[in-house]
Amino acid sequence: MKKLIALLLAVVMMFSLVACGDTPADENSGNNDGNVVADNNDANTDDNAGEVGDGTADDNNEVAPVGNDDVLPREETLYFAGQQWGAVNSWNPIGTNQNNAMAIASGVGWRETMFETLYMWNALDGKLYGLLANDDYAWNDDMTQLTLTIKDAAKWSDGTAVTAADVKRTFDVGIEIGNGVAGSYGAYIDSMEADGNKLTINAKLNDAGQPVNPLKILDFLVLQAIAQEKWIDTCYERNNGDATAILNDPADDVVWSGPYTKYFSDDQKVVLVRDDNYWGQDASMWGSLPVPKYLAHNIYADNAAGEVALKAGEVDVCQQFIGNVQNLWLEDGLPISTYYDEAPYGICLTMPTAWFNMNIPVIAENAALRRAIAMAVDYDSIIANAMTNQSPSFSEVPRSLMNPTAGEQALYNQSEVADLQFAGNDVEGAKALLDEAGIVDTDGDGWREYNGEKISLNAVCPNGWSDWQASMEIVAAAGEKIGVEITTLYPEYDIYQTVFVDPNQTEYAIFMWSPDASTPSNPWTRVNQFMGMDYVGIQNNWSGNWGQYKNEEADALIKQIPLTTDETELKRLYTELTRIYLTEVPSFSLMYRPSMFHTVNESVWTNYPADDGRNIPPADCTDGYGIRALYELQLVG
Amino acid sequence: MKNTLRQVFHSPKFVAGFVIFALILLTMIIYPLFNPGNPLEQIGVGTFAKPGTYVSLYDAAKSPTETLRLADANDKRIASRLSDSDRVEMVEWFKIMNVSVEGLDISDTDALIDLWSANYDPSVRPQGMTNAKVNYYKRLNNQINELRSGDSILIADYDDEGNLIESKKISSEDYVNTKSVANVKFLPLGTDNFGRDVLKELVSATGTSIRIGLIAGIVATLIGLTFGLLAGYVGGVLDDVIMFVTNIFTVIPSFVLLILITYSLGQEQRGATVVATVIGFTSWTWTARSVRSQVISLRNRDHVNLSKLSGHSLLRIVLMDILPYIASYVVMAFILQVSSGILAEAQLSLLGLGPKTTQVPTLGLMMNWAMLYSAHTNGSWWAYFPVILVISLISFSLNLMNTGLDQVFNPTLRD
Repeated sequence: MKKLIALLLAVVMMFSLVACGDTPADENSGNNDGNVVADNNDANTDDNAGEVGDGTADDNNEVAPVGNDDVLPREETLYFAGQQWGAVNSWNPIGTNQNNAMAIASGVGWRETMFETLYMWNALDGKLYGLLANDDYAWNDDMTQLTLTIKDAAKWSDGTAVTAADVKRTFDVGIEIGNGVAGSYGAYIDSMEADGNKLTINAKLNDAGQPVNPLKILDFLVLQAIAQEKWIDTCYERNNGDATAILNDPADDVVWSGPYTKYFSDDQKVVLVRDDNYWGQDASMWGSLPVPKYLAHNIYADNAAGEVALKAGEVDVCQQFIGNVQNLWLEDGLPISTYYDEAPYGICLTMPTAWFNMNIPVIAENAALRRAIAMAVDYDSIIANAMTNQSPSFSEVPRSLMNPTAGEQALYNQSEVADLQFAGNDVEGAKALLDEAGIVDTDGDGWREYNGEKISLNAVCPNGWSDWQASMEIVAAAGEKIGVEITTLYPEYDIYQTVFVDPNQTEYAIFMWSPDASTPSNPWTRVNQFMGMDYVGIQNNWSGNWGQYKNEEADALIKQIPLTTDETELKRLYTELTRIYLTEVPSFSLMYRPSMFHTVNESVWTNYPADDGRNIPPADCTDGYGIRALYELQLVG
Repeated sequence: MKNTLRQVFHSPKFVAGFVIFALILLTMIIYPLFNPGNPLEQIGVGTFAKPGTYVSLYDAAKSPTETLRLADANDKRIASRLSDSDRVEMVEWFKIMNVSVEGLDISDTDALIDLWSANYDPSVRPQGMTNAKVNYYKRLNNQINELRSGDSILIADYDDEGNLIESKKISSEDYVNTKSVANVKFLPLGTDNFGRDVLKELVSATGTSIRIGLIAGIVATLIGLTFGLLAGYVGGVLDDVIMFVTNIFTVIPSFVLLILITYSLGQEQRGATVVATVIGFTSWTWTARSVRSQVISLRNRDHVNLSKLSGHSLLRIVLMDILPYIASYVVMAFILQVSSGILAEAQLSLLGLGPKTTQVPTLGLMMNWAMLYSAHTNGSWWAYFPVILVISLISFSLNLMNTGLDQVFNPTLRD
């Protein structure tokens, strides 16, 4: 009997091994007969074949099988990892919850593959580059109105011209049905006027007749993908104007303006195919088509799987954080590179931050406690450990409200707040601060008390987010050193994300989340997320100020910034805000984290963005101005 | 008793298992005496330092030196900087740059390096060369520059005016005796993802895991034994009720139950003892069943009936007249329960449902963190392989002891 079972098990194992081996075998065959297969694949079929045909140049009706047994020619396909988790929900540019990381998403800038924005954001130089719109946009004198013109060459996939009316309709329908447009821009943009190619954006005005925040209008220009008016009307009518139905419309008939369109998607992979009629090959835009014919993203179970695929050369562009990434080329000798060839390897634009929960009295009442905990944390350990040194330390870039880029660092006066900028691991200083504030150990158990009660806090982040978990362990260790009990807690992400956005929660005392990285409205947005009172008390708050910190003075300063154009005054405001932030410590950043980074395997493609003066950000080869990379790629050899 | 023990220790299997287990226990007790301190202390700042001996560079630079003229020192130095494949790649570069390599012997380091420094330009990026390759040549060039940098390294300090002044010159022939260096740290198994000494953590974790196994084993055996004895001896309705409960627990896969219970406990509550108790509470069923069946075959024996007639209490009959007859079996079951308790903890921790991380190291938690930090994909074998080895050794030794006992006590297996 036992022998029989053993035999059966062995057979089952062999079968499963054979099954696992299938996929790579297929891909190898793709490598071998690349070009021949490519011709067959030009005529693609899946559910969406109809309207793909509308746009592609070689409209033949041949049917090629598409799916898991589909063969994408390796020399024409750029494989991604780290973006798409799970199957795509929809291709609806005005919907919500699309779960469509290849076409409808933003990283550092909007993903310009299928739907395009008016301008492309380049976080390297902080400039806006014209895409659907001409380079020159203009403000009126009091910044209440912005005007721009749409490029003559800009066309939709059905051949009609992109007009200002499309932009206006995208905005209006967004406000009406309540998609992301309403949440992000409803409070800042009042209305739009379309006149042929000319678009005028009217800012919302405050009581004093000033625009609420002109910076947010620039965000709209680079982050809001534009949909076609005609298609929006079609979608609107077939759903009888029902907002929920429109938001969830699968949009299989969608019209796009970008260089790629949907080709295939299921729960295994998502593939986009190049639209050879793309308007951008016009000399007024790129002057050519992007190089790879297919953009493909296999859906991996987790980061480790993506990393293994990258090492094997099955992934070209990987936007996952890889610890000790240098070992891939130093020790394994793989043809892998990053944007910078030395640490931090990518561009740090944000700071994952630990937020103090102000709903907990002992935290809210004691700035000294907050500051002491923040001072005692060993940040060098966090950076060496959680980030494997892919981040500048807080002694290299002293802490403030700014990310470590030169542009933002220049926005405040460091010498004025230098004595407040703690670099961490200052246990004695923290102890002295607590003693001075009267938070001492009165009953001799080694833990400090406040109002006769032992201070006991928790440090929380989602389970499995290993770099954050390591950081929380180090925060807890700091607490122990200064006599404040801090225990770590790692709930599952689905629980975590319902608790930390609740403005009244008292379950998490110190918890982690990242503020914004880089958009035209930063660092203002980030500062507002740190201390702005707009977000206090909002239910289901994904926007900012997760610790519910209230400070009227800081809020007033934050409100002034968008309207300030004078640089000296701007610097004064930011410096003052930094001073408040570092004195009050409503939250403390744990590290600078690369937001713009990629790890590329150069066994098939090369000439990726690198620190070589081309000014192309390493933004996944698709985000904002980073899509320029797709026009510059070359095949190896 | 003495005879039984002698019998037991004559079983080679039992002795082998016992020796392995005793060695593990002994290491657990003795090692911390030599290397005291908190096993969770983060000594390394980075992740996964390799196993080996670490010499303080700071102390070494200030230690007294001896001059040793070793014939192969220079060759070793060059070999560590310039491997054979590097040399081949250098020739590749010359070819790309259209430099004649005729007559070049790549084992002739001096000639190769001279040609290299004459022809390498870091600002040149040959057409079609990948970024990875360009970076490789840059690193190679740095290494070659280091080789060319001469026979000594200068150490300089700032003086009071902020000028650099030479404080020491280290020649390539200077050697330091490791005994004269104040700080030398031997890390036989390197460090883990938090920069902890893996061996020290492993020893401490083994202790915790064995303790978890013991608690789980005791809990499971006690529950199983009580239920089994009662059900088997008393019989009737009580038997039905107990068997009903036991059957319910048998059909629910105990590991699923374990996951559900530990998950709902929440991380706050999960200390090592709590986890051990939960494991015990979910794994008692088969002990109960087999104890019951053995008791049923015993309860009508003459000596039991005699005790009944003498008016002994239920407790006394069960403890004095029945338990001794199944004691050997219970001990064997207990050993297996300990072994499966250790494994259950490891499985739970691997799923992230183990004891709270900051308080104690356990074998499962060590594997959990190693996995979270992809030790298995980045080649840091020392972070997980020794752990697996220890777990296997513990359960192997326990199972070996169990088999040995079985051969001694089970009449059908007795030689």
